[in-house]
Order: sequence, then C-alpha cells, then structure tokens
Amino acid sequence: MYLQDLYTSEVDDKPTLSVSEFACHISGCSAVFSALEEYEHHYNSLHRHVCCSCRRSLPSARLLDIHIQEWHDSLFTILAQRQDMYQCLVEGCGQKFRTSKHRKDHLIRIHKYPPDFRFDKTKKDKGIRETKRLQQKDTNMEVVDDVCESEGVCEVMCGVLSDQPEQGESMETHVSEEEAACMAKPAATEEHAGLSAAVHGNECSSTETLKPRYSYRVPSTVCFGHGSIRGFRGRRGRRK
Amino acid sequence: MWRLNKVRHKAGRQGDSLEELRLKRREHEKALRQARRDRQLVSKRLLLTEDEEQSEVTMDTTSGEQDVVSLFHKLQHSGPEREAHLKALSKALRDPSAQLTFIKQENSMHLLVGLLTGSDAQCRLQAVQCLHKLSHSPHTNVAPACLPATPYLLTYLSGQSTKFTELCLYTLGNLCPDSDAVKEKLLAQGIIPALASCIENQRYNLAVVEAVGFTLSQLLQAKDAAEKIIPMVLASSLPSSLLSVLTPDPKFGLAPAIECAWCLHYLACSEYSRELLAHGALLQCSSLLLSLGGAVAEGNREEGLELLVCPLLRCVGNLLSICPVDSLSSQVGDVRLVVSLCALLQTYIHTQPALARETAWVLNNLTAHSSAVCSALLTLSLVPGLIQLLPFSQGINTMVLRVLANIAHKKKEFCVQLARLGLLSTLCATLKMADQEMVTLSLEVLFVLLVSRPQVADEFVRQGGVSLLEAIQYNSEGEMRQRAAYLLEHHLLSYPSDCTADNIPCS
Repeated sequence: MYLQDLYTSEVDDKPTLSVSEFACHISGCSAVFSALEEYEHHYNSLHRHVCCSCRRSLPSARLLDIHIQEWHDSLFTILAQRQDMYQCLVEGCGQKFRTSKHRKDHLIRIHKYPPDFRFDKTKKDKGIRETKRLQQKDTNMEVVDDVCESEGVCEVMCGVLSDQPEQGESMETHVSEEEAACMAKPAATEEHAGLSAAVHGNECSSTETLKPRYSYRVPSTVCFGHGSIRGFRGRRGRRK
Repeated sequence: MWRLNKVRHKAGRQGDSLEELRLKRREHEKALRQARRDRQLVSKRLLLTEDEEQSEVTMDTTSGEQDVVSLFHKLQHSGPEREAHLKALSKALRDPSAQLTFIKQENSMHLLVGLLTGSDAQCRLQAVQCLHKLSHSPHTNVAPACLPATPYLLTYLSGQSTKFTELCLYTLGNLCPDSDAVKEKLLAQGIIPALASCIENQRYNLAVVEAVGFTLSQLLQAKDAAEKIIPMVLASSLPSSLLSVLTPDPKFGLAPAIECAWCLHYLACSEYSRELLAHGALLQCSSLLLSLGGAVAEGNREEGLELLVCPLLRCVGNLLSICPVDSLSSQVGDVRLVVSLCALLQTYIHTQPALARETAWVLNNLTAHSSAVCSALLTLSLVPGLIQLLPFSQGINTMVLRVLANIAHKKKEFCVQLARLGLLSTLCATLKMADQEMVTLSLEVLFVLLVSRPQVADEFVRQGGVSLLEAIQYNSEGEMRQRAAYLLEHHLLSYPSDCTADNIPCS
C-alpha cells in the first residue's frame, strides 16, 4: 500500500514542475531542467571536459588531457614505441608506463583500483564498444560485470537518455550534427572523425540487418549465440 | 574445543564458573567501554538537503527495509523514474537497518557505482547521496562495502560541481575512521594528492574547503597517522593551502577556518611539527589569534568563536615549544599577542575553564624564553590581572604562577616590579593552599624574588611571611620542608624567628 502511494504521488508531482523548464544548449543533448543548479551540475558533469575529437566526456581536465594525448595524438603514438609514455591516472603518482596494460596493472596492484575502472578504457575497446552501445542501452542487464563497459560516459555524446524504441532514427540525426561539428574543428581529428562517422554509419544501417540486440522486446527463448549468454545469465540472476 | 568447555562448565566447581562469569563480564564491560570511546571519538557528518532536513524519518524499520529491497529491484530497470527511485532510496537509507539490508543485496553496490558514473547527471547526484547516507552508518561493516565507489569519488574531487564535490568529500571523510582496510585503500588510491589539488583549485569555494578540512582531519586523527599519513600530508601542498584559508570569511562563517585549524593542530602535535614552522604556521596562527582575541575583548560573542580559538591555541602552544629560541621573535611577530591572550583568559575563566587553562599554557610557552614578551606583560599592565587569577583552581592558577615565575626568572628588575604589583602578598596566600603543586611553585617564585633585591626580602618579612615558611616545615612533603628551611636560613637569616610585622629592626 505504502509503496503504491509512493509511486503514484511521484507521478502526481511531475506535472507541477513544468512551469519554467529549459533545455541544455549543447547540440545532441536532450536533457531538460527546472532549476539552474540542476543545469549547472549537468553541464559540469557531462559537458565540461569533452574531447572534441570523439566527443567523449571525461570527469576532469587531467583525465581529458591524458585521453587526448593517448587517443588522438599521433606524436604520442610514435614516442610511445620508444619510451614510457602512459601516465598513471592517480594524481601525484607520476609514474609512466610503456603500455596501457602496464599502467592498468599498476593501477590495480599499487593503487587498488578495480579492474573495470570506467575512466581507463584502452583504445582498441573503442570500436567494439561503440557498436555495442546502441544495443545495450535499454536493457535491464546493465549491472552485470562485463556489460558495464557500455555504461560509460561516452553515452553522453548522443544525449540519448531514455529507452526509446526509435533509437535508430534519432541516432542518425545526432550523428550528422556531430559529424559536422567534428569536421569543423581544426584540431588533429582528420582520421578519427572519418572513423567515427563510419562506425556510426555502420550502426545506423544495422537496424535493417540482423544484429544481436539486448532489448526487452526480444523474446526470452531466442538465443543469439556467443555474446548473449551474458545477458541471459544476468537476467536469471535478477530474480529475487 | 567448545565441547571441552561445555563439559568443564558442567563439571566445574561453583567458584570456577563464577570466576569465569566475572572474567567474561569484565571483558564485556571493557569491550563496551572501548566501543563507547570509539563512538565518541569517531565523528561523522551527514549533509542533508533542505527537504530532507524538514521531513523526519518516520517510517519504522521493517517497512524501511522492505522499501530498500523493492527500490533496489526497481532501479535495475533503466527509465525516467530512475532518478525518483534513487531519491526515495536515499531517503530510505537514512535508517541504519535499511543500510545493512541494502549492502546485503547482491550487486547493490555495483548498481550504485554504475549510476554514480553514468550519463545522467541527476542520477549521479542521487547516487552519491545514497552513498553518503551509507557512509554515515553506525555499523562498521557498511564502510568496506562502499569501497568499490571510492576511486570514482576521488576522481570526482577534481570536478566543478560544488554540491556533488561536497558530498563526495563528506562521504570519503565518513568512511575514513571505520576500518584500517578502508584507510589503506584510500591512501593507496591517492586521497592525499586528491585533497591537495581539490583545496588548491577550489580555494574560493568555502563550502568545498570546509569539506576538505573535515575529510583531512578524519585522516589525521587515525591512530597510526604519524607513520604514513602525516609525512605525506606535510610533503604535499596541503599545509600552505590550510594556512591560506585560515582567516575566516565574515560572510561565510567560521566553519572552514575551524576545520583547517584542527588539521593544523593534528600536524603540529606530531613529531614532524618542525616542518610546519618552515611554512610560517606559527606566525600565521599567532597573528590570527591576536585579531581573534582583540575581537573577543571588544565584546564579540560570535557563536563558535571558541571552536576556532581552541585549535589555534594548541597549534601556537605546540609550535612554541619546538621553536628555536633565536628565531622566536621573528616567528611570533607582534608581541602584543599577550594582550589578546590575557583578554581570552579573562573571558573564558568562568565560561570555559579548560580553554582558559590552555590560554595560560600558551602564555607560559611564550614567556619561557622571551624577555621581550615578559617585558611586554609588565609594561602593558597585564600582570595585575594575572595575579588576580591565582586563587582560581582547575589547573589555571598553577599555569599562571608558572607564567609569573618565567617573568621573575628573566631579570631582577622584573622581580622588583612584580613585588611592587602585589605578588608577594598573593604568595603569602598561595603558600597556604592545599594544592602541593601551588606551594612548590610559590616557594620557587619566592626564592627568585628574595634573591633579587634585599628590599623584597624586607617586604616579605613585613608581610608576615616568615611564619608561613615555618608552618611549611611541618608539611608532609620532605622536599617542601627542605626548601622552606633553606629559604629561612639563607635569606631570612638576619631576622629573629619570632619577629612580626611590628618589631622589625630597620635595615
């Protein structure tokens, strides 16, 4: 009884908030606010330290600098072949490593970081994750360990915050805006803008082709092969 | 093992089992006392939003626990109601038993961490609210359950969202005292550099500064802080940051300065306090104390002022004790600090006797090696006020007497001045006190005074001091008797033992 009242009272509350709502002005972000404080927090959390090349949002200026260096700086890639260039993410540590794997091991061993720290993605995960992102957004399996990679801050790129079934179409419009935005930037983004556009293009066309999607609309008896086992296992675990 | 105990219990004699019971009860009481002490020492802060402060936690525990479980299930589905569910969860988690229920749910922390780092800023805020409530738990096994969130909380300290950063800081600060494992992890994850850069970048955001001060003070109060934590803190930019925010902002209030002053105190009473001297801590703290004392003297009764005065006094007192004598004058700065200290002393003597005692202690440390300070006390007419404090108890009179002894030890002229200001007659009163320490100190001071000038000895005899010393010769303490005898023989020898105030031969 009490819980029902809790739910219904919240539903009742919602209409009274919409007196003076305003939206985030960042292109591609569909967030809406009713208070300035809310907007400030949203902006500071998700739009402040954004990589202009891949539109990823990082939590701090330092992590953004490291990201740009490691992902979008060709000089870094060249130097990294000969010397230790990967910085430890913990401020004040100062150590550098030859590969991101070494750095990750250091973070886990010395700094007791979790192995799935969300702000230390390796570059080669990038492609895989972007294709997965669309599929796994509106699942209820997000809590499973290895699926959590999709729940990264890169999702803010497209501002898709609700589980709309028409995700395919809305993605396309956002992509074109961003592509334009990316292209306009004079920074060293030549190949990456092209690459991300290509990936986006792949995804949007995938709505026609048969690609595994972890959507709640999928019947529970269907099995898509290797990747889906995780999803099903997670679903079973949710039963309490 | 247990079976043996059981058998022994049944077969044991009456006396044995009683003894065991007594032992068990003693152990139990000891554990209770320790727990009570720990609870008092461990302080946690709970930051509440405005509507949270107004609404009370009215639901009973069982429904609260059920709420938590159902909310947790609801949160596993994404959707626009997630934020509302999180808000409800945060409210439910104010209840300690609900906190336990939550952490026992499988993957609950994982879910919370996912929301903490997700792409919805409001969900992030509500998730950190939930973590904050969990960190405030009185149960010690809740803090280790929150460990998966700490690397993210630390990462977010370099963010720009004030409320969010505050909550991260208070959550981290609440987690520190609960277990050594938690502290170890936080240190390994770089909490000290994170705090250092946070306070540096957000120096003008006083709410964040206050939160950093709180978190740092929690770390510094750890039992083994001296081994690992304090050296790391001193090596960072934290000491200079703490000193730079020490002066309270009149609009914001005293809280940030209070937190930072306590951090400085924990650093100053460690074995590495010399490094604080190098940062100019003594100068900064004494000048702040000077202005605070002045404000108090003018009648400023701002609430909480003594919360700032206390750590500052302790800082100054401790730093004075390790300060090299030759750099004392440059480190202390304006010698009129003594005016402020005496004003504080007079203000707190009735309301906060413990604080008054600490003020007197600082005065003692100041006067110990500095003639300039002693001279200032005399020239600024502060001594009569001090002399009047000698009848007070609670450790204040002994400390004040030490101050006067310090003055007397410096120069003979000072002794004469002290005698003129009425110290001799007061000593006649203190020599009769029951407090042995007072009597010992009085004899010491008397000795210094008597050897300074013959006129002082005259005056003492005139006031009937000889009979007082004679009375001390019946004191239970052997040393006391010896001292009194010594004084009588060597410095009051020329006078017959039965002389009174009336018939002293003129000298």
